[in-house]
Amino acid sequence: MKSTVDDARFPELSFSSNWSPWEEVHAHTPEQNTDLIFPRDKLVEEGSNVTFCYNSGINQNISCYLDRELIHGEQLYLNIFTFKLNNVPFIREGGTNIYCAVNYTIKDGTVLFVSKVLEEPKDFSCETQDFKTLSCSWDPGVDTGLFFDGQPSQHYTLFESFSGKKKFCEHNNQCNWEISRDLQETYNFTLTAENYLRKRSVNTIFNLTHRVHPKAPDSIHFNNVGATNATMTWKMPALGNYSTLLCQIELHDKENMRQEHNVSIKVNGEFLFSELMPDTAYMVCIRCANAKHVWKWSKWVTRTLITAEAAPSKALDVWRKVKPEKGLHHVTLFWKPLSKFHANGKILFYNIVAKDLDKKSELKLQSIPAPANGTELTLDQGSYQIQVTANNSVGASPASEIVISGDSGNEEVEEQKINGTKDGFLISWKPLSEDRAGYVVDWCEHQRNLHCELQWKNVGPNTTSTVISSDAFRPGIRYNFRIYELSTEKIAYLVENKIGYTQELAPSDSPQVKAINVTSHSFTLSWKDYDTEAQRGFIQGYRVCLKSKATQCHLDSVAELLPDNSTCCEHAINNPKQKIFLVENLQPESFYEFFVSSFTSAGKSPIGTFTKVTTQDEHSHMLMHIILPMVLCVLLIAVMCYWKSQWVKEKCYPDIPDPYKSSILSLIKSKESPHLRIMNVKDCTPDTIEVVNKSEGTKTQFIGIEKPLTESEFPKPANLYLLPAQDFCVPGPCISFVNHTYSESACDSGSCAHTPVPDTAPPCHLELLASPDNLLNTLEKTHTDSLGEIPAGKISLNYVSQLASPMSGDKDSLLIHSPVPVLCSEYKMQMAVPSCLDSPVLSENGSLSSMTLLGQDKHYH
Amino acid sequence: MDLRAGDSWGMLACLCTVLWHLPAVPALNRTGDPGPGPSIQKTYDLTRYLEHQLRSLAGTYLNYLGPPFNEPDFNPPRLGAETLPRATVNLEVWRSLNDKLRLTQNYEAYSHLLCYLRGLNRQAATAELRHSLAHFCTSLQGLLGSIAGVMAALGYPLPQPLPGIEPTWAPGPAHSDFLQKMDDFWLLKELQTWLWRSAKDFNRLKKKMQPPAAAVTLHLEAHGF
Repeated sequence: MKSTVDDARFPELSFSSNWSPWEEVHAHTPEQNTDLIFPRDKLVEEGSNVTFCYNSGINQNISCYLDRELIHGEQLYLNIFTFKLNNVPFIREGGTNIYCAVNYTIKDGTVLFVSKVLEEPKDFSCETQDFKTLSCSWDPGVDTGLFFDGQPSQHYTLFESFSGKKKFCEHNNQCNWEISRDLQETYNFTLTAENYLRKRSVNTIFNLTHRVHPKAPDSIHFNNVGATNATMTWKMPALGNYSTLLCQIELHDKENMRQEHNVSIKVNGEFLFSELMPDTAYMVCIRCANAKHVWKWSKWVTRTLITAEAAPSKALDVWRKVKPEKGLHHVTLFWKPLSKFHANGKILFYNIVAKDLDKKSELKLQSIPAPANGTELTLDQGSYQIQVTANNSVGASPASEIVISGDSGNEEVEEQKINGTKDGFLISWKPLSEDRAGYVVDWCEHQRNLHCELQWKNVGPNTTSTVISSDAFRPGIRYNFRIYELSTEKIAYLVENKIGYTQELAPSDSPQVKAINVTSHSFTLSWKDYDTEAQRGFIQGYRVCLKSKATQCHLDSVAELLPDNSTCCEHAINNPKQKIFLVENLQPESFYEFFVSSFTSAGKSPIGTFTKVTTQDEHSHMLMHIILPMVLCVLLIAVMCYWKSQWVKEKCYPDIPDPYKSSILSLIKSKESPHLRIMNVKDCTPDTIEVVNKSEGTKTQFIGIEKPLTESEFPKPANLYLLPAQDFCVPGPCISFVNHTYSESACDSGSCAHTPVPDTAPPCHLELLASPDNLLNTLEKTHTDSLGEIPAGKISLNYVSQLASPMSGDKDSLLIHSPVPVLCSEYKMQMAVPSCLDSPVLSENGSLSSMTLLGQDKHYH
Repeated sequence: MDLRAGDSWGMLACLCTVLWHLPAVPALNRTGDPGPGPSIQKTYDLTRYLEHQLRSLAGTYLNYLGPPFNEPDFNPPRLGAETLPRATVNLEVWRSLNDKLRLTQNYEAYSHLLCYLRGLNRQAATAELRHSLAHFCTSLQGLLGSIAGVMAALGYPLPQPLPGIEPTWAPGPAHSDFLQKMDDFWLLKELQTWLWRSAKDFNRLKKKMQPPAAAVTLHLEAHGF
């Protein structure tokens, strides 16, 4: 046992007495079934050594545990055990359970509460924001509180030695102290932390004015905000006029801090910002501290200041593209939007003024609403000065001028190839004139777009080279750079035109090739330029790949292995302008395949589909040379014949004049001559034909056919039927003439008819002659039958007969067969005809073919 | 007036109890008397819910006590927990209980257990544990009200409070914290056993209170005509 004096008011008097001497006490032996463990619910600090004593009573076989671990003790007596625990750790707020059991049945237990070591408060300090209250705060460290009846959390006491006041703190990390009205200047605070086991104190002494921590400024306002200046006002709360404050003001734009100012105030503050940017949002931050002794700054307070707009401060960067067409200039103007720094506000529209420099009076005004970056104008081919201004709500920017001359857009400059790199293109040029305002290099950034996204770069007048670089440049895309020289009159003259690639690639496509002039031993390949987009580099030449059955390539080609493991003979064309190639030394009627690929410095275009060609037959051209003229000649002759047929007919087969239609009739009628009349054949007495009987075997020859008859051939009688036209059959007679001279039973002309004709085939029974075949058969049969009536070989006859029907006026009508039997007239007169008319009448076998006559439009008998 | 968290929970529990009893007030009961069946069913459901809730709470609290109290096979002697109402009963005795006695035993048991539980709440040091215990106490208060409702529906009087047991009564400080921990252990264990038994009790009552099929038919016919 010991005693301690501890009074916070007199900490210097605190002391403890020495421990009293040990006293021995005899404890009662527990009752028979009562166990006892001691001490009960012991509270110790972490790291302490603890000894437990257990009186087991009559139980001998006991086991004791710390939480769930068996602990071994020392047996002092028969029923008394001690358990020593060294350096006990903190395990949980609920305490460590120590219990003893017999045969797993708990007999008694206790809780050992192990407290964490109480720490000294850290960062103890006091300050005031209003000279009314001192706020003291600290870091309490670990909480030493334990559950149940172990130990509550440590508590804190604040003691001020000058005033002798003491305060129990409600919170474990801060405490408020009322400042007396007389404004005690110096304070000496002692903070004491205490739990059941320990007490820890810290001390601080300070001057009140050195511990002023102002609250954040409030009532912040911006007044008279202009384009470049503004006034800020604010107030400092709660401090009154006790001290002077220093306020720190910072002005930030989006990127970084632009201005920093320090202002001394009492309560109300005011500050004028100047040199601000128009139409710009600024962040204004302000904080304050005691000016005499800066203990702590107040929290930053942030407000946004937006300045007013001003007129744009810079002229637009303008460029143009001129396209002459039909006497007009289509001018496309481009401009780059002003940076925020120069726009000084939101650009609302762009004004374009076109002034005719020739007439000097005409103005064309356009207003393009923002956010446009270009427009199109159509001007005549005169010279125009174009002015472009950007306008915001306050005013317009300085005008940007550009002049379109009459020659603009018509310049032609040869393209020059340049090599680019991944970093861009180095472009150099030669100046056109000495007097110049500068240069402009323009190009299309995205060539694939239909509308070129024109880019340009302004270069100073004394510079003749520049590097054009852009993140938009891509390998395999051809870029076209045009360099213009700007005169002092702002007229642009095209100086040079350069094309190039940042990196050439192999062509993505091959030319479209046609095979022409295919012969038996050669054919010609022809192709044209193709899309530059597919070229992806400067074409340096072509490769003609020819596949054939031949295993060997010609000397001017090399064997090339294709992706499909086949080979072809590759001919190299190293002239990119050559777009025709003669493939020769080929085999006739052979099958060839070819493919033409282009190549750039980066490689060849990919192999595509081969085109197939078969060479011609070797003789086919000869056939053409012969057959074609022959066909033409035959056609010519046929045309000539047709054209001259009338003439030939008139010459060779003139129409037999019809006496009834002769012009002489009119003459007769007009003269009424009684002596002039037409002779009627009926009135004529047929000539007497002399029939010469010849001995058998004598050859008889027809005059007309001049063909000798063999002895076995019987001359056939000229038994002809003239078939009347249908019109004439009723009531007109069918004309038939029979050479009765042949008939052995000659009859007179008036009564006899059909004598040589058998009864079964009456001459006028025209039904049987309905078809030419029937007619021919009938005629031949009749003819044969007639022959039967004449003794063969006894009669030879030379005669020619001619018939002119008295009724026949229509030659065509003879072709019309009438089914109605009609009366027949007989022809009894015969006369000689020119020998030239014989041949058509007779067939080859000597028979007289009526079919020949019937089959023609005209009848000649 | 110093309002503490425990008092707020108590007021909430009272409000719940009042609301629970509202359907039993004749002036408000305009829908006709459906009998004790729905109340028994609700009581049964609440019992099952509390079983689930206690499983979570007991896990946290026993860890807070530390080993061996949080070990699954821990079975200490009851010692100071002899005053706790025992849920275990002989099966034949349980079967022979009449409805009134069955309900009365439940009511009395939860009344006692609720008082002990509130004492437990005062000892809990962590805010989280205090919150869980307060929530469970409110639910248990609701169960007590629910049993009272069933008893009222069946026409049974509520048992009188035992002399000397106030609503906020808690067991006095044990002679050691270790024994206190054992009492806490038995309180949770007995509560768990009572909830299990109550589920059986109310299930039995529920089946018993189901109207016979003929009566239902007659009821429907009466409505039909």
